Amino acid sequence: MKIALIGNPNVGKSTVFNVLTGSNQQVGNWAGKTVERKSGLIQRANLEIELIDLPGTYSLTAYSQEEIITREYILREKPDVVMAMVDASNIERNLYLVLQVLELAPRVVIGLNMMDLAQAAGITIRTVELARALNVPVVEIVAAKGKGIEEFLTEAIRVGQLEQNLSAVEVSYPEALEHKIQAMEALLVNTTWATKYPLRWLALKRLERDPEIGQEWKINTSQSQKSKNSDSCCDSGDTVSYELQGQGELPGEALLRSYEAEGWSKDHFEMAFADAKYKYISQILPKFRTHENPAKPTWTDQIDRWVLSPIWGYPMMLAVLAVVFWGSFVASAPIGDAVSQGMAWASDVVVSLLQWGHVPDFVQSLVRDGIFAGVGAVLAFVPQIAIFFAFFSFMQDSGYLARAAFLGDRFMQLMGLHGKSFFSLVSGFGCNVPGIMATRTLEDPKDRLITMLINPLIPCVPRLGVMSAVVAAFFPGTWGSVVMLSLLFISMVLVMFSALFLRRVVKQTERSAFVMELPLYHVPTLRNVLIPTWHKTYSFLKRAWTFILVASIVVWVLSSYPQGVPMNATWAGKMGGLLAFVGMPLGFDWRIMVAIVFGFTAKETTLSTLGILYGVAADASQSIAQAMTGAMTPLRAYTFLVVYMLYIPCLASVITTYKESGSLGWTSFGIAYNLILSFVAGWIVFHGGLALGFQ
Amino acid sequence: MDRILGDLLPGERACVEHIEGGGALRRRMMDMGIVPGVELEVVRRAPWGGPLQVRLKGYYLAMRRGECAKIIVKDIHQGQREQLLASR
Repeated sequence: MKIALIGNPNVGKSTVFNVLTGSNQQVGNWAGKTVERKSGLIQRANLEIELIDLPGTYSLTAYSQEEIITREYILREKPDVVMAMVDASNIERNLYLVLQVLELAPRVVIGLNMMDLAQAAGITIRTVELARALNVPVVEIVAAKGKGIEEFLTEAIRVGQLEQNLSAVEVSYPEALEHKIQAMEALLVNTTWATKYPLRWLALKRLERDPEIGQEWKINTSQSQKSKNSDSCCDSGDTVSYELQGQGELPGEALLRSYEAEGWSKDHFEMAFADAKYKYISQILPKFRTHENPAKPTWTDQIDRWVLSPIWGYPMMLAVLAVVFWGSFVASAPIGDAVSQGMAWASDVVVSLLQWGHVPDFVQSLVRDGIFAGVGAVLAFVPQIAIFFAFFSFMQDSGYLARAAFLGDRFMQLMGLHGKSFFSLVSGFGCNVPGIMATRTLEDPKDRLITMLINPLIPCVPRLGVMSAVVAAFFPGTWGSVVMLSLLFISMVLVMFSALFLRRVVKQTERSAFVMELPLYHVPTLRNVLIPTWHKTYSFLKRAWTFILVASIVVWVLSSYPQGVPMNATWAGKMGGLLAFVGMPLGFDWRIMVAIVFGFTAKETTLSTLGILYGVAADASQSIAQAMTGAMTPLRAYTFLVVYMLYIPCLASVITTYKESGSLGWTSFGIAYNLILSFVAGWIVFHGGLALGFQ
Repeated sequence: MDRILGDLLPGERACVEHIEGGGALRRRMMDMGIVPGVELEVVRRAPWGGPLQVRLKGYYLAMRRGECAKIIVKDIHQGQREQLLASR
């Protein structure tokens, strides 16, 4: 049996899904989309159930990715039952989606969640009356406490096994509209289309001139991926893809034209249908809902008075961000170091085993400097990504993330971005990898892409560490902080410029509106925090390690062949030498260029590369930076810092961009844009400095 | 008297008269429950021209001033108001 879970965002859908499926989940992306697809298998009394968690959506029109996915799933894969989650504290808007679902799916069960929140706000819902008004089963649940979830599923199974479809209520449209719908229905009733879709829905969509109806789709299920032994977690996700077979001719063209002549365009119909649904809801509402004392301030009102206050809101947001940063990127450092040390120890053990077995030197070097170094680089990210996403899931689930977007929106408006980009960009200061992954909250794919592409321009903690060491060596005392601030200022200006510039490059037909729900606050369940954290971390590991392993082996080959020569004579060194002409206009010598080339895998290694090139034996970054002062003027150092700050953060960020955007083209564009921008900025700084008389 | 939503002061309530413009913006608003006849309350306005927090039917939306300028509202008359409260 196939059951689909549907509902508005923030309705507690994932809580129900997590409780029902437990660890038996498959998380991936919907085919060809960058929206998460979650499914799970449940076993109940000899019945195998495939439960699909459809993306949270407000409507079933076809304008956002989430809506399209949800609609296509119900239309083309025809789940046996749809479990519709409804937020009792916000029932009017939730029923709007439910009415659309009822027009589309014959078997629906409603799960009425957040009864506790509703009661606290003075709302009483009479479940029996609601079920009678819509003529579908309604189950009360308190998802956060795990109450009623099993009953919800049992009811869905019961409905799925019924001989006949439910006869759910039909929205009563105003008379004039009803006539038009019936006229269209009469034209469609004897066509093959009426056998595939519910007649009423078909007529409504025909009046709206919906492109989906009339299309023939072939469903491809790739068997190879469907095998049971595929990864229990993050497999590629969707096993089903659709193929357009053809576009059929639908009747009613003449009728539509005559309506258009009367002023009933497709937009007009759309508005009228939506309006009728809301009117219908407000008609039936008094039957099952009473709202006492609606003016009484709720918990959310009380919290928002502080959290969104123009005076206290910003300091509080800074404090929250500071805790998230400290937890994810500072407190995690010892764990990351321990992982690196563990890897170093493991590589030593393996290498000594290889030595004992008289394995050739180059194999030993490959294992130590190629494989272990590469895997270690990925593993070192794991603690910070895990902790970051635990915080992230907590903030998202509790409702704070939307408030941060509300507060940060003004700054994002300056860059033509969405308030939700704010958190992703701020996260970039910690680490660009989770920053790029955090763009998932953005609904508009174009906004997401732009936020993803400008994220690398924000210096992350490891880069800031290297930068401050170099700054401290070249600009001692108070000058140091001025220089550091000026660098951060350059980064901000370029982030802003790039956002505006990319807005022109990325083609966007229609800007999405900034209408964002600020959900009621609630305490997230532990499960809802831990399960997404685990998925995010695991999928990062799984995606990144193969790429990074291959890449670090490539870098190892380039940097250790021909064997036994000094660094500048290796292939990578020669590349750096060849690139010296690029660095020349910026006052860079070949050493800097080699360090930049080597820094591509991980920026934090740049100092040690420079240390080797300048012949400094010491390991500490301070002494390496000190040694550089003898070889460079402050202006050249400053130019180096600008380029260093702006070019690609690390291989892991590039791979994350590729995975999150799903586009090789945009990833390459991002790399090229980063490199060009960093060198152009460096050139301007260097020549500007020279013109101003600096050395 | 018709005004735009963006003109309301924090704490003021009004009814949606109609939404200007069309396309994605209007559709998104309808999906979020902003339809003619609905009662809105501006809860607060973020400083320096930031978004507005709007309450309707017991939930909250954040909307930019640009979007709020497209929503034409009218004052709630006393009689109408009682009727609205009774229907809740």
